[in-house]
Amino acid sequence: MKEVGYKFDVIVVGAGPAGSAAAYTLAKKGFKVLLVERGRVPGSKNVFGGRVYADPLRDVFDGFDEAPIHRWVTKERISLVNGEAMTSFEFHERKRTSFTTYLTELACWMARKVEEAGGTVLTEITVDELVVEDGKVTGIRVGDEKVSSDVVIDAEGINRLLLERAGLVPKLEVRYAGLGVKEVIKLSKKEIEDLFGLDEDEGLAWLMMGDVTGGLPGGAFLYTNRDSVSVGLVVMLGEAVKEVREHISRYVEALRLHPLLERYFRNGRIMEYSAHLVPEYTWPSLPHRLYADGLLVAGDAAGLLLNLGYNFRGVDYAAYSGYLAAKAVEKAHEMGGMTSENLSVYERMLEESFIMKQLRKFRNAPKMRENGRLYTTYPEVVNSVMDQLFHSPYEIPKVMEAFKRAKDGKIGWLDLVRDLLEVVRSV
Amino acid sequence: MLKMVVGIKWVPNTTSVNIDPKTGTLIREGIPSVVNPHDLEAVEMALRLKDEYGGKVTVITMSPPSAIAGLEHVLGMGADEAILVSDRAFAGADTLATSYVLAKVIERLDYDLIIFGQETIDSSTAHVGAQVASWLDLPYVYYVTHAELRDRKLVVRRSLENAHETYELELPALISVAMHTLHPRRVKVSNKLRVKLENPIKTWSNQVLGLDPECIGLRGSPTALSKIEMVPKVPRKNEVFRGDAREAAKWLLEKLMEEGLLKLG
Ligand SMILES: Cc1cc2nc3c(=O)[nH]c(=O)nc-3n(C[C@H](O)[C@H](O)[C@H](O)COP(=O)(O)OP(=O)(O)OC[C@H]3O[C@@H](n4cnc5c(N)ncnc54)[C@H](O)[C@@H]3O)c2cc1C
Ligand SMILES: Cc1cc2nc3c(=O)[nH]c(=O)nc-3n(C[C@H](O)[C@H](O)[C@H](O)COP(=O)(O)OP(=O)(O)OC[C@H]3O[C@@H](n4cnc5c(N)ncnc54)[C@H](O)[C@@H]3O)c2cc1C
Repeated sequence: MKEVGYKFDVIVVGAGPAGSAAAYTLAKKGFKVLLVERGRVPGSKNVFGGRVYADPLRDVFDGFDEAPIHRWVTKERISLVNGEAMTSFEFHERKRTSFTTYLTELACWMARKVEEAGGTVLTEITVDELVVEDGKVTGIRVGDEKVSSDVVIDAEGINRLLLERAGLVPKLEVRYAGLGVKEVIKLSKKEIEDLFGLDEDEGLAWLMMGDVTGGLPGGAFLYTNRDSVSVGLVVMLGEAVKEVREHISRYVEALRLHPLLERYFRNGRIMEYSAHLVPEYTWPSLPHRLYADGLLVAGDAAGLLLNLGYNFRGVDYAAYSGYLAAKAVEKAHEMGGMTSENLSVYERMLEESFIMKQLRKFRNAPKMRENGRLYTTYPEVVNSVMDQLFHSPYEIPKVMEAFKRAKDGKIGWLDLVRDLLEVVRSV
Repeated sequence: MLKMVVGIKWVPNTTSVNIDPKTGTLIREGIPSVVNPHDLEAVEMALRLKDEYGGKVTVITMSPPSAIAGLEHVLGMGADEAILVSDRAFAGADTLATSYVLAKVIERLDYDLIIFGQETIDSSTAHVGAQVASWLDLPYVYYVTHAELRDRKLVVRRSLENAHETYELELPALISVAMHTLHPRRVKVSNKLRVKLENPIKTWSNQVLGLDPECIGLRGSPTALSKIEMVPKVPRKNEVFRGDAREAAKWLLEKLMEEGLLKLG
């Protein structure tokens, strides 16, 4: 292994939201920073549904209002789907809290901010290994070359091969991961606004539960971008592995061709298909440390992601954890070096941040989402009630009557109450 | 010591190219560009010669400034220097005007060997190499699969369908590398760092070159493209027959006759 002729204060692996936020924060403070990304452009290897919460990013990046924002999500729709019936709840309020975008565009913008702040960004470079010497991470190995730094921030995303190779985390078990698949379908700006009842820069976030996932535990989503929609599903991998009988792309296709959804895509053109892992069980339930001598871990690699089904917080959590990792490096620098002890301040900062507070609060959410009845029985019951209420011209049932008829033979009162309590408790 | 110049072209990635069905022209907008893949093989050959004999590799491209990303890539592979030849005045060039500018650029460089790719994936005329060799009055061998130095002469192998030819070239000379013969190497992190931190890319406009406007760009291009006709797409029926082979053969025969593709004599 040959040492290259350049040395850095900090090397950040992965130009996703976590890595770019870390690199940007440190470059701005005058640290000599190298950000390394294996994709052709930052974000080219990322996949995500499409909605990002803005405030945490605003805290991290100066000039955030110039970021590539497609639409502000002002319309939330949650649907229970069963067969060819769908019951939806909709909430519309014109507030600018979260927005849709392409993650590639956002990641490129973030990486540009890193360069503007004086950091060095390399793309098309895959880090093969964290170099560990005497128990301390001293840099990265790429091919037969080593680049040294005082500290490495690992922001490699969920598929944390580097951490695994370094023996710092166990192999990711499938039951801790979800699988996200999606298609991006091109429509005109106007078509989107007409189809979904949106104003110029308004967007829709639509979550669907029920047999639209082909019966797999998880949910389907649709987000409106500027002139395209992202549609796909996130399923729990543990279950998916057991139950999937066909290529996973078929499930997205079935979603797109669903009789109640097909109308939205009829004039569209498929631009992209992609699949990616999502952490399901997040940090509080995973035993591992996010710091070591010369190393910090941020973003998905650290399992810092909240998926409540109706609220998916990955990008902003990742960016904010990267920001905190940068702050920790700053502190450790003041304290005299990148020792594990000095860097442990990172974990304390995370603890006090909104990230850990929320992850802790919702730590039972993933378990709740394993409950199969949420995806099968309840959508069926709800749609059956609706069907009775609206399609019985000669014999309108009372709501309770319809409900009893709908649930009988599908679920007992006891399970119902237990599920209800569980849902209430975990969300 | 071999001083080499390699020409690369920055092309739209044709795997994702769309043709405008109305006008029949290439829609270049929004399509990511790449270094013409066969030109990466030219770079690879230059780097192998450099590894073997020492020397210097200068890469040139005539292109809009977006090609800098491509130059960064080949510098990452290990090329020493890169020149972006870029000027609005060069736009709209056919192969003649392209090769003229490239020849004028190369004239200003100190070189023993010029290496080009076999052809490009977006126009694939394979003119440019031959034309540059003519402008510079150099020996030229096309379709080269191997090159080595013997007594300051370049010995190259040219692989044809049923024969290998070996040529001995006086230097300076120009060769074009046969496509699919060499596997381009991975970029190195040290090289990429040098690109970012030392900026070895120069840009030459026509202010530097001072070429006659009559010989460059659209005005210097005598080729007139009169029309592009699209080959209509034949819709596939995608019928599958399951069952035993005898039945399948009969079924297939009937289908082919039905389609008028087979006739009983
Ligand atoms: C289908 C799906 C839908 C989602 N929807 C949403 C959503 O609506 N809203 C939301 O906020 N979040 C969503 N997420 C989650 C979000 O995408 C992630 O949480 C976020 O991208 C994590 O950021 P990160 O920087 O930690 O990791 P990543 O974004 O994964 O970035 C890691 C980077 O590291 C690079 N890398 C990895 N290994 C190496 C290596 N060895 N060398 C060099 N580079 C390397 C990768 O190429 C990648 O660019 C979704 C995820 C999926 C899969
Ligand atoms: C009438 C006409 C008009 C045209 N107008 C335009 C136009 O407006 N815009 C446009 O983009 N194209 C235009 N073209 C295409 C243009 O002629 C070719 O892009 C260009 O001359 C190179 O030809 P080629 O791609 O066939 O290269 P080839 O001859 O197939 O390339 C052989 C090798 O030469 C080298 N090489 C080729 N081009 C370059 C380069 N630019 N820099 C460095 N090395 C190179 C490479 O090593 C390559 O492998 C036009 C073509 C015609 C016929």
